[in-house]
Amino acid sequence: MSEPADRTTRRRGANWFPADPTTFGVDPDYRFTLANERTFLAWVRTALALAAGGLGALTVLDDFGGAELLGIGLLALSFATSATAYRRWALNERAIRLDEPLPPSRLPLYMAIGVAVVSLVAAVLFVIDAS
Amino acid sequence: MRPDTVFDRRLQHERTALAWERTAIAMIVAGALLARHAVELSPMFAIIGIAQLLTGASLLIWTGRHYDDLHAPLRRGESPVHPGAARLVGVASVVFCGSATAIAIAAAAR
Repeated sequence: MSEPADRTTRRRGANWFPADPTTFGVDPDYRFTLANERTFLAWVRTALALAAGGLGALTVLDDFGGAELLGIGLLALSFATSATAYRRWALNERAIRLDEPLPPSRLPLYMAIGVAVVSLVAAVLFVIDAS
Repeated sequence: MRPDTVFDRRLQHERTALAWERTAIAMIVAGALLARHAVELSPMFAIIGIAQLLTGASLLIWTGRHYDDLHAPLRRGESPVHPGAARLVGVASVVFCGSATAIAIAAAAR
């Protein structure tokens, strides 16, 4: 589902697995590199946490009818998040090395909407299930 | 070799090491949950979860060692960038989240 529409970056071919960013520009301040690395890892953890939440819902909520929808919804979100994590890291690293502004991302927005929708649907299903 | 002083007073590189470790631990937990869920479909699919768990465990060990070794290059002014590790973790998480989604859909359709 959600792909961040990075308008300022190059649009050459499939851009899901960008080239090694260390081939561009010069070595930046090490703190920028580490901050970018931590952001990348935070996205990977977000994806893993969504996957863990989805799998937990599927395993634990046995007698709840909406468990499959909730679990698969969270897992689909986790897949979308993990699919963009490396790409974001590489594009950010490249921009830092070239001393360019960082490319914007819509992923946080899509993520917030996605989690809100899944939670809302789950809440509605819980109410239906309980009544 | 273990350094006697910390390189950066803002502990940037320790924070990054902890971020790696948290990610590795999250990978282990999610792998265990996938193995637990997938075994209901077939024990074959549980192997994916166990592989993820082992990847997380190896990453945890690598991270601890790597960040000890990083003090010297940082003092020499070299870049701590590690595209190989980012690529490995990025691809591993896509493979894991993708197969977890596929297994969940297969189990629900059954």
